Amino acid sequence: MAATNPSAALEKEQIFGMAEKEMEYRVDMFNKLTQTCFSKCIENRHKESELNMGENSCIDRCVSKYWQVTNLVGQLLGSNQPPM
Amino acid sequence: MDKSMLGDLDSLPEADKQKMAAMIDQLQIRDSLRMYNSLVERCFTDCVDTFRRKSLDKQEETCVRRCAEKFLKHSMRVGMRFAELNQGAATPD
Repeated sequence: MAATNPSAALEKEQIFGMAEKEMEYRVDMFNKLTQTCFSKCIENRHKESELNMGENSCIDRCVSKYWQVTNLVGQLLGSNQPPM
Repeated sequence: MDKSMLGDLDSLPEADKQKMAAMIDQLQIRDSLRMYNSLVERCFTDCVDTFRRKSLDKQEETCVRRCAEKFLKHSMRVGMRFAELNQGAATPD
């Protein structure tokens, strides 16, 4: 059950390290996404504390598009094509 | 930031689960401090731009309250949608 084998323990450390990086990445992405979509969708005079219908659908679309852009840029970066 | 966003930990052995949970707690602390700072910055920028007095007037205060409340609601909605995308759910346009 417990990893006594040193190489297995090392491997486990690496996996934890990767999982940590992955989580950090997701948290950062979530924060950026929240900031960006707030700037783009929420009217900045703050006349109300409720989100209105327009803002709600803007948020949904903004999140979805942000996600698409993330994937698109990821593909472009991963495709090994020389830029331009 | 909600734990459910980062995937489920139930499949891991107990010791690993605790380690992951500790990691997530740390991230959440860091995250909430950052959020606090950025929210102050944003609401200050949006709501305060005259400096005739040294304290917030009624209107500025109301604006800040709404701004913060709205940001939290916004953040919850984004969290919901983000979790859906992370779980690979397709959403209609």
